[in-house]
Amino acid sequence: MRTSLIETEQIEAHLLQLSDTGDALVFEARMLLDPELMDNVLWQQKACQMVRVYGRDQLKQEIESVHQQLFKDEQHQSFRQKIMRLFTKK
Amino acid sequence: MNENKIIVKTARDREKLFIALYKSVFPAVAKYVSKMDGTFDEAKDIFQDALVAWYEKAASDGFVLRSDEKAYLFGISKNLWLKKHKHNTRHIPLDGFDAESGDAAAFSDSKILSFLQTAGKKCMDLLRSFYYDQLPLNDIAETFGFSGIRSATVQKYKCLEKVRETVKEKSMTYEDFLD
Repeated sequence: MRTSLIETEQIEAHLLQLSDTGDALVFEARMLLDPELMDNVLWQQKACQMVRVYGRDQLKQEIESVHQQLFKDEQHQSFRQKIMRLFTKK
Repeated sequence: MNENKIIVKTARDREKLFIALYKSVFPAVAKYVSKMDGTFDEAKDIFQDALVAWYEKAASDGFVLRSDEKAYLFGISKNLWLKKHKHNTRHIPLDGFDAESGDAAAFSDSKILSFLQTAGKKCMDLLRSFYYDQLPLNDIAETFGFSGIRSATVQKYKCLEKVRETVKEKSMTYEDFLD
């Protein structure tokens, strides 16, 4: 892997707390001495946070598409009727 | 040992799983919501949020099936309903990382996210499998067509670097715009 990717991997190990104590201390010292590394750590944390938001958004869309299938497709008619009866009796 | 694991390697696996959960648990949730004088749309919203919460918990547990899975999902739904009515609000955000708030930072985040969805979808899908679905590397390598764990790992870090740089660059641009 190229050097920048190795650093990306090390940042990940730091963020996910995967390193052993020795490596973690060395990395923290490097961060204090290297503002650019510190900057990359913060942006990588933000990037991972955005990936998780993206993941949740995509999952919500997948669930909605399952809902549409179940409440629109002919083959699930009896399921749909069973549910709708619960809300029309009142 | 593997009998207790849910298979969720692909979008098709997830679709099958959600159809099965909808069919087995949604009737009970709908019945409960209807009994509490709720509407069909409320039952739908509650159940979909419960499925997301259930999925995220299952992902962090490595998708190992619990013996009382259906009761557990029903329990989450019921709790969300009670929470919603206690606070009397239409939408209860799920814990963690929803980008739904009205401030400037959230505005900037949603702009960046829609940029990443279009310009970097391939990378975002790969990274989603690692960080959101938390799938094992060999499954990810297989699903995304990599020759092995090693090349999937390299691609993951390339994507992460690319997304990091995009987030940095775009955040600064939107901050300038909002100032």
